[in-house]
Amino acid sequence: MVAFAGLLIYGSLDLPYRGDADNLMHSQRSITDTVVAGNYFIQEAYNDANTPNMVTVVLGDYRSIDTLGEQVVVFTAGLICLLILRRYRPI
Amino acid sequence: MTIWREVKIMYDFLLGHYSYWLTIILLCIGLYGIIFKKNLVKKTIGLTILQASVVLYWVSLGSKWGATVPVLDPAYPASDVANYLNPLPHTLMLTAIVVGVATLGVAFALLIATYNRYKTLDEDEILEQIQ
Repeated sequence: MVAFAGLLIYGSLDLPYRGDADNLMHSQRSITDTVVAGNYFIQEAYNDANTPNMVTVVLGDYRSIDTLGEQVVVFTAGLICLLILRRYRPI
Repeated sequence: MTIWREVKIMYDFLLGHYSYWLTIILLCIGLYGIIFKKNLVKKTIGLTILQASVVLYWVSLGSKWGATVPVLDPAYPASDVANYLNPLPHTLMLTAIVVGVATLGVAFALLIATYNRYKTLDEDEILEQIQ
């Protein structure tokens, strides 16, 4: 387990610095295919959905189908809990 | 003077990576619990710790120095993306937390069923009773 942790830490040495606003994850490609600082979700979320909370916009508008699938997972989990616990409960 | 520059570089590197290391240690604790613990409840606790480590890792990846939470504030213009954290990891982790809680509920239901059937939650004793 310690060796596994060492391997992961060795792999993490190449990660970008935490909180560095200049790293590639916080950038996007412009029309001319160059990397610029920008993020569609931050810049256009309010214009698209008229909601100040960007996380809500991404969760409920851009990824609404994903959220629907998540609800299906939650519903299935509740159904499984119900079926399992009903079978073994003494009446 | 050059040695101080080296120290500064190492300090910056440490400041930029310590959160990754802490989440990796947390992940290994959770994995240890899943693999080596014999009690099924403790295995479930290990699963939860592992999930929490992954959530913390993603949220720490999405952070920026000097930025605020991704809720639009008229004082900070949204055209400058350095003002706000990246909202995408937060959204994904919101989904992951909900799914994790759902699977945790299923795991506890299975544990209750197992206990009703075998009257124990120890892995070895359950294996003995099965054989």
